[in-house]
Amino acid sequence: MEVKVGDEIPEWVMESVSAPRMATMAAILRDPNPLHWDRDAVDKGGWGLGRRTINQGPLDLSYMINMLHCWSGENSIRHIKMTFPMPLVVDGDRVVAKGVVTAVNQDKEGQLAECHIWLDRDGTTLLDGTARVLIPA
Amino acid sequence: MEGLSCMVSEETIKQLVGYEFPGGEYTIEHWENFLLTECTGAELMQDNVVHPVALFHVPIMGCNTTIAKMFELGHADSDASILVESYEWETFHPLKEDTPYKVSGGVIGAERCRGEEGDIYDRVQFRFELVDPQGELAARSVIIWYYTRTEESGD
Repeated sequence: MEVKVGDEIPEWVMESVSAPRMATMAAILRDPNPLHWDRDAVDKGGWGLGRRTINQGPLDLSYMINMLHCWSGENSIRHIKMTFPMPLVVDGDRVVAKGVVTAVNQDKEGQLAECHIWLDRDGTTLLDGTARVLIPA
Repeated sequence: MEGLSCMVSEETIKQLVGYEFPGGEYTIEHWENFLLTECTGAELMQDNVVHPVALFHVPIMGCNTTIAKMFELGHADSDASILVESYEWETFHPLKEDTPYKVSGGVIGAERCRGEEGDIYDRVQFRFELVDPQGELAARSVIIWYYTRTEESGD
């Protein structure tokens, strides 16, 4: 594969963010924040989310990784940085990882693609960031 | 107000810079990678490579600390008072299952900030490094969290 500036990365879709997966993730992370696994805690928080638990930031980020892996292959990500302008991804949400190539540099192992990547929900950017990905020669 | 920490002094926050976690070693076992990968909605990677999302919790736990202790370090008084600015991960070698990584890390930045609406928060920057059994740097993680504050009380 050869990439160029302006190439769009094929989207990766999480059709429905899952509360049970958040609970498993909380156990793995030893994350004590009940907003990830206790519907009552979310409801009492007063954010207008009802009883929908809030996805962990690293899980949101993982959807970006999955998109990049599907595009450029496993072990291709050299650097990734994500900011969280609208971090409230909740269970049942449909979110879409998107990206575009912004620069390409030649490396001895192949092309190093600089990418703008983001996580979208109905036109709202939830996460926004960059990635550097190796496209093997 | 729920979700906001009581105010600690700016000096207390600045003194966090240079703090180092105990450090230690962490081995990602197959079961952990399996469950972690399933949570992301992806298939297991080939050759026992660990899903990169492990770069959030493995550095923390490998450093012999926890998310809860990191909250305490910045004087957060509730889980909901923490906001994420960014997660930044660099990978030099793919992480593998059943491989003991040496982990070190600490606080590399801490400053008091004021938001556009006058809200006060403390921006704390953590950095972790994972070194493989061959002594090579395998990955680096930088976490930047905001500890949101009220102006009601001092320390």
